[in-house]
Amino acid sequence: MGKVTLRGMAAHKLRLALTSLAIVLGVAFISGTFVLTDTLHNTFYALIGSIYDKIDFQVRGVAQFPSQQAAGAVRNPVPESLVSTIKRVPGVEAAEGSVNGYAQFISKTGKPVVTGSEPTIGENFLTDPRLSDLRIVQGAPPTAAHDVVMDAETAKKYHFHIGQSVRVLFMGGNVASFTITGIAQYGSSDTLAGVTFAAFTLPTAQLAFGKTGEFDHIDVLAKPGADKQVVQAAIARALPPGVEVVTGQTVANEQTTSINQALGFFSTALLVFAFIALFVGAFTIFNTFSITVGQRTRELGLLRAVGASRRQVFRSVLGEAAITGALASLVGTALGLLAALGLEGLMSALGFTLPSGPLVFEARTLIVSLAVGIGVTVVSAMAPARRAVHVAPVVAISDRQEATTVRHARWLGLTVASRVLGIALIVLGLVVHQVALVGLGVAAFFVGLAMVLPSIARPLSAAIGRPIASALGTPGKLGRANSMRNPTRTAQTASALMVGVALVSAMAVFGASVSSSATASIDQAIRADLLVTAKSSGSGSFSRSLATQLSRLRGVTASLVVYGGQFQVRQSLEHLKGVPSQGFGPTVDLRVKEGSTAALAAGELLIDSSTAKSDHLSLGSTVRVKFAKTGPGMMRIGGIYKDNALIGSYLVGEGFFVSHFHNPQPGAVLLDAGGGAAGVARLQDAVERVLTNYPTVQVQTRSQFEKSQLSSVNQLLTLVYALLALAVVIALIGVVNTLVLSVFERTREIGLLRAVGMRRAQVRSMVRSESVILSLFGAVVGIVIGTLMGVALVASLSLSNITVPGADIVVFFVLSGVLGLVAATWPARRAAKLDVLAAIATE
Amino acid sequence: MTTRPPETPAGEAEVRPAAQAIELKKTYGTGQAVVEALSGVSVSFGRGAFTAVMGPSGSGKSTLMHCMAGLDRPTSGKSYIGGRDIAALDDTALTELRRDQVGFVFQSFNLVPTLSAAENITLPADLAGRKVDKEWFGYTVGQLGLASILSHRPSEMSGGQQQRVACARALVNRPQLIFADEPTGNLDSVASAELLGILRASVDELGQSIVMVTHDPGAAAHADRVVFLADGKVVDELEGPTAAAVLDRVRALGAKRS
Ligand SMILES: Nc1ncnc2c1ncn2[C@@H]1O[C@H](COP(=O)(O)OP(=O)(O)O)[C@@H](O)[C@H]1O
Ligand SMILES: [Mg+2]
Repeated sequence: MGKVTLRGMAAHKLRLALTSLAIVLGVAFISGTFVLTDTLHNTFYALIGSIYDKIDFQVRGVAQFPSQQAAGAVRNPVPESLVSTIKRVPGVEAAEGSVNGYAQFISKTGKPVVTGSEPTIGENFLTDPRLSDLRIVQGAPPTAAHDVVMDAETAKKYHFHIGQSVRVLFMGGNVASFTITGIAQYGSSDTLAGVTFAAFTLPTAQLAFGKTGEFDHIDVLAKPGADKQVVQAAIARALPPGVEVVTGQTVANEQTTSINQALGFFSTALLVFAFIALFVGAFTIFNTFSITVGQRTRELGLLRAVGASRRQVFRSVLGEAAITGALASLVGTALGLLAALGLEGLMSALGFTLPSGPLVFEARTLIVSLAVGIGVTVVSAMAPARRAVHVAPVVAISDRQEATTVRHARWLGLTVASRVLGIALIVLGLVVHQVALVGLGVAAFFVGLAMVLPSIARPLSAAIGRPIASALGTPGKLGRANSMRNPTRTAQTASALMVGVALVSAMAVFGASVSSSATASIDQAIRADLLVTAKSSGSGSFSRSLATQLSRLRGVTASLVVYGGQFQVRQSLEHLKGVPSQGFGPTVDLRVKEGSTAALAAGELLIDSSTAKSDHLSLGSTVRVKFAKTGPGMMRIGGIYKDNALIGSYLVGEGFFVSHFHNPQPGAVLLDAGGGAAGVARLQDAVERVLTNYPTVQVQTRSQFEKSQLSSVNQLLTLVYALLALAVVIALIGVVNTLVLSVFERTREIGLLRAVGMRRAQVRSMVRSESVILSLFGAVVGIVIGTLMGVALVASLSLSNITVPGADIVVFFVLSGVLGLVAATWPARRAAKLDVLAAIATE
Repeated sequence: MTTRPPETPAGEAEVRPAAQAIELKKTYGTGQAVVEALSGVSVSFGRGAFTAVMGPSGSGKSTLMHCMAGLDRPTSGKSYIGGRDIAALDDTALTELRRDQVGFVFQSFNLVPTLSAAENITLPADLAGRKVDKEWFGYTVGQLGLASILSHRPSEMSGGQQQRVACARALVNRPQLIFADEPTGNLDSVASAELLGILRASVDELGQSIVMVTHDPGAAAHADRVVFLADGKVVDELEGPTAAAVLDRVRALGAKRS
């Protein structure tokens, strides 16, 4: 029996290859994701290790907000005098303090040096080479106030040399000129994953970062041979309250944890799409096996007639699936290495800078890829195998009849059950925040849906095919008839496409709703003509003096300074905004729903309505808060306003804000020119002239601000579309597969058509019509389901607007048709090349 | 067959045959495995005549028909339909020739399963984007007794009905020549007789030219002339055959071979 399986597979290499392709692509995606994230993980890990290996301990302020991740925690600086205290502790060999902050080189063309979205770091150059993570490769350390050491990557990219002068931009818009005395590497690497750095003398750094007499942390080296635990305990005893000492290893672990979290999210996101691709692939496999079992009925009947048991027939079909799955998974796993490079390319095309390193291929990658690939194939072939078992021996002798009956009754209960189960899982998954459950629910829902598709396949293909038939004449009519002749096959083929198109449509509805909600909120909430904000690559805030300067410009009829900072509320770190308690009417409409703006002056907290809803807060509730400067406290909720893209979720009055932050800084300035396009344009010019010295600050009109707010949504959508495209491609492979098998099955019929005068071009046109009808069938169902899913998603997120992007949906529909045409290319060519005599000569 | 045809084909005395083959050769395969299916067949099929082709299995009857009908290309020799050398035609021209000048009735699988009887009958015209002469269609369908099953699919018809629909498809086009390859091979004797009657009548009443491959001496007796093939050659001919005469010739040929 095993021999029969293998012989059969060898005889149908094409079918094998097409079936495999769906699995190959899905598995390649999985393996690629693993390879990429493993590689990134290793690269980061090595980098972090090389930095923190050198130091034994780090002394630093205790994290302000315990809820925050240790790696990026807000910490108060430590006094400079602490260094000499630590040096006196027995067992300490060396100790040196460092400060860091925002410092950005300005290139020779006057543009800031930006490296994707990575930070631009400034620090003091540690004089003790045993502690410094920088290694001078050329020149010398900084000694004078206007000396700087530059990272090798920036020097190379922007052609800076020792002795040249370079301008550096600091927080708040201050720019100063420095002389390059040295070029350095970070550990052994030219760059720390795209981060640029500038190293100054200690006094310069302290001055530039506003930390005179203070350090961010002190790095410590123990004497060789000293008991490190004893030394650490001794240091701890010497420290004032609010300061801690941790090992270098702890710092490294904190960094690794935060990177692992980011990578984990990244790899989960990619794996979700990989599983979507495989899920779609499963439909294709199911369909192929269903068709081939149908086509092999005679052969299977013969096997049964000569004495093969049901179990043997079942094993023969599943055996084929297992071998197909194993081969495809192996190829897919190998292809994953290529996919990793492709994904890396996709990421960097979208503006993420990733460090490079040798590709890492873990055993886990191979095991998971094989298990998933084989599992999906075998499970998909289960139902067709069961059907093969029920082939009666007599069919080997009797003439085969094409079975076109749809068994509604038996399926109905199952499909309803699977959709109900699906929806239940989705809801449960959303409630407990489990992506896997939501995914499982969506999958079950789609499977349930796919099971009812055959019952609507005939009328729907008929309707879709009608205009095609009337436009293309007889070939179109025959294509339409072919798409209707086997509703089960049509439905199964279309199901795969349905899933892809449904997900794309749901995302489109989601994206459009987010966009229109944001636009509406900006339109209604902001009255000012111009918005001055920090660019996203910058620090997020700017100096108060700049804000004052801008609001005094000629032509400004009203202005508003919006402060921004972080605070802890109900155990989570959030952004807080501060505005003056009155006079913001001409620039902002707060749209207070409950309470009043008087709460601003009263030092109460205002929150937006979606936060109120999701956190179950109402007017008059009190919440626990914590500020870095003033510590913990309670605040009363004095107002609830409608969602506001500029303000965000939490708002207080300016007076309260200024007294609760160490260094209160504006996050935005709103300027009104009193209306009139000419006045706005003049004012924008004036603001831009002022901002030439502040490369990190930008001025935007309201519509420009809207566009920039939407650009991240659009970027995300583009990424999701790109990843879903793979699922659609796999669905199309399914269409190709079905068409090829159908063409094979209809060899005689096509020969007959050719004999009585069908031209080759007409044969192609017939196959293409069928393919387009199949694809549009999947697209129509997918669009309807996807739109409903999108609307449900948007409704559950209580966005203010539910928008169905009609134009996009028309594009999806048309595109599906075009893809159907593309999918038909090869099967159509095969059909047209069929020998005329094949019709008459068989038998 | 009592009604008059609405229009009889041009009655002018045409000397040119409906189809003609000159020194037609066809070999399959290469080297050791080469099979010569036709080894120089010269034959002509008269206009308005019903010709039967007989011969033992494997004698090249189907091959001859395929090469003369533009379904296959001969290895050498010439083949004419209505005076046109079909060896010179490219695939599209050959297809259009089959569509417009030739009619076919095969032994089985004559109809497109997704099309109704009526649609199968008008298929060549539809493929050509041509309108079918309604009157002529009605007449043919009436003569073949198909009026009541026009909307049926092939799966809903008996074998005899299917063959009659195939005949109607061939006749409605009024081709130069109809090729029928064992059209009664799968039919019972009643349905066979019906089909042969239809073919005979279309020759007598409409002047249609027909070539029919058959094994059955009784069927061959319906023809005006029988051509005998053996081993890819024309070996005998018989004008105005009767079933007994045909049987004699078949026996004689069989004896010669063994
Ligand atoms: N496609 C083919 N390839 C090889 N040999 C063929 C092919 N078609 C027919 N033949 C051979 O050509 C000879 C004539 O076949 P055919 O014309 O079908 O005979 P008939 O119709 O008289 O039974 C036979 O020997 C047959 O085996
Ligand atoms: Mg034959």
